[in-house]
Order: sequence, then C-alpha cells, then structure tokens
Amino acid sequence: MTQNIVLIGNPNTGKSSLFNALTGARQRVGNYPGVTVEKKSGIWNLDSKHSVQLFDVPGTYSLRAQSPDERIAVDVLTGQVEGLSVPDLIIAVVDVQNLQRNLFLVSQTADLEIPMVIALNCWDQAEKKGLQIDCALLASRLGVPVIPTVAHRHQGMDKLASAAQQALLDQPMMARPQWPTAVQAALDRLDRELNQQRAEGLRPGELQRLLFDRSSSVQNRLKSASCECQPLLKEVRRELYRAGYHPDAAESLLRFRFLNPLLGDIAARQSAIIQRSRSESIDQILLHRFWGLVVFVGMMYLVFQSVYSWASPFMDLIEGLTGGLQSRIAPLLDGMPMLQSLVVDGMIGGVGSFLIFLPQILVLFLFIALLEESGYMARAAFLMDKLFRWCGLNGKSFVPLLSSYACAIPGILSARTIADPKARLLTILLTPLMSCSARLPVYILLIGAFVEPLYGPGIAGLTLFAMHVIGLCVAAPCAWLLHRFCLRGQPAAPYFMELPAYKPPNLRHIFGRVYASGRDFIVRAGTVIFAMTILIWALLYFPRPPELAQQLEHDLSLVGQDSSATMDALQAESARLHAIDAAYLEQSYLGRVGKWLQPVFAPAGYDWKITVGILASFPAREVIVSTLGIAYALGGDVDDQSSDLRSRLTAAKWESGPMAGQPVFNIAVALSLMVFFALCMQCGATVATLAQELNWAWAIASFGCVTFIAWLAAVATYQISHWMLCTP
Amino acid sequence: MKKTKKGMPLDQVQRGGRFRVLQVNVESASLTQLMALGLVPGVEVRLTHRAPLLDPVAIEFGGCHVSLRREDAAQVTVGVC
Repeated sequence: MTQNIVLIGNPNTGKSSLFNALTGARQRVGNYPGVTVEKKSGIWNLDSKHSVQLFDVPGTYSLRAQSPDERIAVDVLTGQVEGLSVPDLIIAVVDVQNLQRNLFLVSQTADLEIPMVIALNCWDQAEKKGLQIDCALLASRLGVPVIPTVAHRHQGMDKLASAAQQALLDQPMMARPQWPTAVQAALDRLDRELNQQRAEGLRPGELQRLLFDRSSSVQNRLKSASCECQPLLKEVRRELYRAGYHPDAAESLLRFRFLNPLLGDIAARQSAIIQRSRSESIDQILLHRFWGLVVFVGMMYLVFQSVYSWASPFMDLIEGLTGGLQSRIAPLLDGMPMLQSLVVDGMIGGVGSFLIFLPQILVLFLFIALLEESGYMARAAFLMDKLFRWCGLNGKSFVPLLSSYACAIPGILSARTIADPKARLLTILLTPLMSCSARLPVYILLIGAFVEPLYGPGIAGLTLFAMHVIGLCVAAPCAWLLHRFCLRGQPAAPYFMELPAYKPPNLRHIFGRVYASGRDFIVRAGTVIFAMTILIWALLYFPRPPELAQQLEHDLSLVGQDSSATMDALQAESARLHAIDAAYLEQSYLGRVGKWLQPVFAPAGYDWKITVGILASFPAREVIVSTLGIAYALGGDVDDQSSDLRSRLTAAKWESGPMAGQPVFNIAVALSLMVFFALCMQCGATVATLAQELNWAWAIASFGCVTFIAWLAAVATYQISHWMLCTP
Repeated sequence: MKKTKKGMPLDQVQRGGRFRVLQVNVESASLTQLMALGLVPGVEVRLTHRAPLLDPVAIEFGGCHVSLRREDAAQVTVGVC
C-alpha cells in the first residue's frame, strides 16, 4: 500500500507552491465528501523507486477547528476522512520569516503523535532580509529534521525528499510541551473517562482539542452519547478555569511559553528585522482613509468595466457561432420538423445559452485571482467591511455583489472567497437581485416602446437607472431580515483577516484558478442548464397536432384571398408561418399552463401571452423577447431593437375578459413587467449555480422567495402606476 | 486619549505607537483565534490603520499584519512599552 504524507501549514506560507513543486502535474483535485473544501492529492516520487501519496490540506493557523477548512485539516490529520488513513508522515510548511506563529500549528499537530519533517519555506526572502537561521540547531531543539526550501523556485526539493524517506523509517517526533499540573490533570481525566472507560481511542492531541476548543470536530465523532460527554467536558473545563487557566486562552499562552525559549535567540533577531517592510509602505496609501478608497473605487471600476467590455466580443462570437451553426444545421433536417426543432432550438440553443456566460466568468476570475494572489483582496475587504456589516455581510461581499451587475453566476462563484459561512450564504442569496446584463434587453424593449415615446429620453434614462438600483434597494432589507431572523442561530464566524505581504502574482496559479472556475461551471452548472433548456423547449413544442396547422391554413387562405393583391407573396408567406407558430404556442403545454396561470399575474396587468413569456424565460431572461415575438406572431428572431415588435406590443389588445378591446400594454404594464424582471430569478443558470454552491433546497427556496418578491413588487408597481398615470 | 498605568483598550491607542499587550479578554472567538497567532500578553503590538469608517482596525504584532473588528480590539488591553 502506498504511504500517505500530508502537507500542513498556515495560509500564505507557499504551501500550494510546495505541493505543486513536489507533485508536478501528477495531481488530482476534488472535494472532500459533504463540503466544498478543495481536496488536492498527488504522487510524490521520493526517489526513482519509492513514491508516496501527497495530500494538501487547506491552510490554517491552528487546529481550533472553526471554519469548514480548518475542520477538514483536523479530520485529515486524525484519519477521519473517508478512504484516508492516519498519515504516515506530516510535512509542516513554515514561513521562515514568521517562525513563532507558524510553529504554533506545528506544535499542536505534534501532539497527534505523527512523525514530522519541517520545511522552512521562503528561505530566499529571509536571506534577502539578512535573516540567518541555524537549521541544525533548530532541528536538534525541535527533534525533527528541518529543511530549508524555496518552493516557487523548486529549491530544496531533493533534500526534502530524502529527509522524508529517512523520516518514514526513523519516525521522528517533534518536542511537545510539558503541561502544568492542572492542565495535565484535566487531560488525564479525559483520558481515563474517554479512552479507558469508553474505549474512544483518542490521541493526546485529540483530547487537547476536546479540552481547549469550545466546539471541535473531535466532539462530533465521539462514539459515546453526547449527553454523557457534554457534562464531562463542561466540568473538566470548569475545573481548569477554577485552577486559574481560562480554557479558551490556556493553550495559546502555554504553547507560546513552550516555543519562545526554543526559538528565543532566533525569534528575537527576527522581530528586530521585520519592522517596516515594503508592504507597509504600500499600505500607507492603499489603506489610507481617503486615498485608499479612491484607489479601491478606481480598481473596482476597472474590474467591472473589463468584465463588461472584454467579455462582450467573445460573447458576440459565441452568439454568432450558435446562430451560424443553427442556420447551417437547420436545412439538413428539413424533412423532420420535430428533430430539427430539438437540435436547432433545444440542443444548440441550450449549449449556447450557458456557454455565453463563460467569457464573463473567466475575466472576472482572472481579476479575482490577481487581486487575491497579490494580497490586495484582504485590503479591499478591510476598507469595505463596516459598510456591509449591518446586514450580516462583510467586506468580502463587495466583489461578488458588484460583479453580479454583469452576471450573477461569476458573482455566486466568487463568493467562495468569503470564509465566514453565514456571510457567504447571505451574499450568494443576494447576488440574483443585482440587475445583471441579461435584463438589459427587456428594459430596452419596454422603455423604448412605452417610456421614451411618452416621456422623452431623460425619463427613459432615469427609468433604466432605477431598474438597476431597485434590486439593491430590495436586497439590503432582505439581507437584514435574513440575518436578524432566519440565520440567527448560526454564530458569526470569528472575523479577523491576515493582511499578507504584497507579492507579484504567480501566473501559473492564476491561470490554474481561472481554468478551474471555467471547468467547474461547464461541468456542473452547464449540464443542468442544458437539461432545463430542453425541458422548456419540449413544453413549448408539444403537443403539435397537425390538424391545427391545416385548420389554420384553411382559415388563412380564406382571408388571404382578399388581401393578396395588396400584400406581396413573401410577406404573406412569413405572416402565415408566424400565425401558425403563434397558434402552436397557444396550444403547447406551456401555453396552456400560461393561460391557466394568467389570473395569478392579472393583478400585475399581464395577459396570457406575457405569462407564457415569463414561464418560457425561465432558462434565460432574454428569452422573453423572442417568446413575445412568437406569441404576438412575429416569429422568434426578433430582438430588443425590433421596431416591429414594439408596434405589435403597442397594438396588442385584450382578447376577452373585462378589458376586452383595450390595449394590453400601457405604461403601467411596461413598468410592472420591468420591475418583475429586475427582481425575478428567471435564469436557469443562476438556479443551477446556486444549487451547486449551496444545495437544491436553498436554490429552490430562494427561487420561490425571489419570484414572490418580484410578483409582489410587480403588482404594487402596476396598481400604483395605473392609479397615478393611467386613470384619466 | 488617556494613558493610564492600568492600560487601555487597543482600539483607542495612538496610531503607529508601540504598546505591550497586558490582557486579552477571550470571550470572543476571534480573539481566541488571534491568540493562536501570537497575540498573547507580553507581545508588542501596534495599531497600523483604521478603516475609513473607523472600523475595522489593522494591527501588527511579531511581524504579522491582521485586520480585526473594533469591538474585538476593544477586548485587548495594552499598556505603554
């Protein structure tokens, strides 16, 4: 069986670089079961014959497991992850510039009684600063091999490999602190009651987690009933408190008391050297209370503009390719109308409808990776935190929410950068309310048809702006309500953020991340979106009784004879086809559902055709424009600029009911429809991405809530504006 | 800003000045975590930045730069070096 080696270390120590250097291209990236924490493993060849499995766990400052990432680290080290045994060796990655802090985690890990080798990384930067560390002395004090490395330049890898190979045989253990009597007594009692009486088989390090941490993942997997263990843990912690050691603080105090003399002469020299670094000079501007904000706003403007403008040529290209492919394929299948429609409208259209998001996702992730790798992201969060906190979000929510104005999907994906699970959840739930660029066609069509002719371009521009702000106005109170009432039970994650030293970004990492985000989107969200598009296609296509076309053709030919003199043949032909399409749409399952559901939307002033448009636009909002085109018998290839559609909409009249004969569309209906689309989650891609990032329950619940809010707002808009603007 | 011998909360100190941590009130989980990073009594600490709305604050100790919320910084008592 291959041996397992696990890499541990603080964040920002170059752990990932070391992992890449050791495993090269032979790695696998997946998720740990049940959580969205990245699981990286690879093959590491120690020499020509001997190779081992290397695992990378997420960077963490300590084993006081709080976030999902940190919990995974504890689970991996204690062999609690499915299909993974306790590691045979730990490689602890330590930033040599910050020995004391980095060794805290290493010392906690040592208590798990696993052999260890320490990699002193960033050796080159330490040398540049004139820092000298006697590795042999450090190794003899700690009791484990200490190897200097420069991971990003692949230096020290051979030495690390031979040290690891030797360590697998020698099993070196790092020196462990001697606990004061009271602490030792508490640990002994836990050992007695849990290990000897209940055969839990916990190692000293695991007992310490139970003693020192308020909620540890070790607690969740005790075999004994929690009603037996909880009182025991409470009592032991209370005793420790009475003995003068605060259980939450004791470990840090005692471990640093143990580490400081070991590092004394080394660390003293360190803190003298690390005084004012270059990063700190940069921060004088970037964290400045005024200039820092100016730079931040400028930077965000640049990001937002780029997501919008860099992506658009590629989006046009994808759209063009989809359209081109559709018009190429369509004639090949002329004899088989059902297959033709399935392939052309359903499949090619379906693939195109999610590929269109890819350019924006890639551009946004390029920027996010740059901002994170360079160290700026933590600063941006620092500047913005207070502004977002009142409604339960935090500084890191800013980028996802801003980018959702281009598209909610990259916004949802980028919320992964938020460590606090509650803030991340809230941010993700709010992203669909930001007015994305797919809503623009709807706004342009309706503003062009109803607002501009009546009130002029000034009010038209204002309306467009209002549509972009309305989502924000609804989102903030929603976040506050969720934060205060629904998610109240969830404790806020501890908030603190390291401001890492600025460094030039590593291109390989950046492109790796951009690639991974694109692949994730296509594989996970794409398949669902594709399936939904096919489903909606089928609901719009079936049933398609041939009698209907014959009947209609018969009717039309009667009418056609009268007007054939005035209408030229081509126009008549296309009008005939469009009328058939419209009749089929009315007959389709979705058309029937639309008619049946119309009363629901009646308070918002919608007729059945608009209702069908709303239903059909579930996979993508823009679809409403073409569905309205079909429903009002113009054919599917209309766009928002089409003046024909505008005039048709203005001319459309109620067919029956109390308002029969009156125009369907007036300013109130147009405003209400815009408000509905500004708020609703008519976007299959967003729902699929929500499900991927959270789960289906959240995705469906938030779809339901957002749709309800949108409906409520649409009804309110219609009723108020009808009363204000349309009553004579 | 009063400087007493008894110490004062870290969120109220002069920006840029060096202070020594006297006590950390560990009632908040953030501070428990920060202690694991080395913010323990006896360590020298400096408040390096305040955010535009005065919250959060950025501090430095032992070469490590961290931003934390003001309410947490208020739980750290510091004295003059």
